[in-house]
Amino acid sequence: MSREERRDEFGFAGPLPASHRLRKIHDPGFPTGPEIGERLPDFELEDHTGRRVSLHADRGNSKAAVVFFRSAVW
Amino acid sequence: MSYDDREALAAYAQARGIGFPLLSDPDSAVIRRYGILNTLIDERDTPFFGIPNPGTYLVDESGVIVEKFFPRHIAMRESADTLLDSALGELLMGEASSVDAGDEDIRVEAFLHGGGGTLKAGPMRRLVVRFTLRDGLHIYGEPVPDGMVATTVHVTGPKGFHAFEPVLPPTEPLTLPGLEAPLHVWSGTVDWVIPVYADADLFPIDDEPAQREIELELAVRYQACDDKICLVPRTEQLSMRIPLGGLEVPSLMGMGEVDQNRAVEMDSAKYFAQLNARQTAARGSRDTEL
Repeated sequence: MSREERRDEFGFAGPLPASHRLRKIHDPGFPTGPEIGERLPDFELEDHTGRRVSLHADRGNSKAAVVFFRSAVW
Repeated sequence: MSYDDREALAAYAQARGIGFPLLSDPDSAVIRRYGILNTLIDERDTPFFGIPNPGTYLVDESGVIVEKFFPRHIAMRESADTLLDSALGELLMGEASSVDAGDEDIRVEAFLHGGGGTLKAGPMRRLVVRFTLRDGLHIYGEPVPDGMVATTVHVTGPKGFHAFEPVLPPTEPLTLPGLEAPLHVWSGTVDWVIPVYADADLFPIDDEPAQREIELELAVRYQACDDKICLVPRTEQLSMRIPLGGLEVPSLMGMGEVDQNRAVEMDSAKYFAQLNARQTAARGSRDTEL
């Protein structure tokens, strides 16, 4: 595979060709969930230590950043 | 938060020295409820189906979203430093790679913000040009009357380096006798923030990077005035050497110390096999329901 086949429209290269279905790129306006000004929906999930984390109860009255990421594995 | 198992997240946290909670959403229930399941991935593409459109929400003390970052392309995501700046409402200084010019009237500094001043493929960085003006002096934003010089910053770098339009702070209006329209000026400390990123020309996937650092040339042009006189317009030429690469480590202050030299590797193959087995089973039960 040539270097150009791996490059997408943003100029980035990946192990799969840019035309592969797993390398599709969102169009502008794709869903990004709750909007600015809304309360972030509550959730309760286990963290990496096994502790149950409840978003709003556990952050107390602090600011928080909630980061959604692809995977820690691949 | 990700769709990884708790065990995989524990291994990742250990390998990277992460002190903040990594949340496990193994059936993507919260991801779906938020409406951010990545639907570009086909349901049959196991184990990839189930990931979110990656992004970040910042909430205030009452839990209301004050900012969110969802890049179209994962390789153009904001860095942890940018998220922190946004949460704190300020730009933190103290990076490597900084250069400066000017004199006691006007000081011009430039530094690469994020990732400790290094550039890598993936997270965006911010090139900051900071003007520090003596009391009473101001510089101009567009538009300016004939004969005066608006502030401009021109950045050039090697192939593979991209700079977006600068993000400018708001100007203050300045009314002068004899001028119909007010001027648009900045005074005090003024930060121009230029989002930048590197693509595959600088970080080829199948080769080591051809170079360990790049050189950026900045041409910073401005004219400073006080309420009586104007100084001669100046162009400062700044050369910056920016180191490339390095491991991307979280730098959220006070939330876990990171030893950059540690070499704990995560057994990714093992956890990928577990993830694949789990997602294959989930797909099987979805198919049965249909």
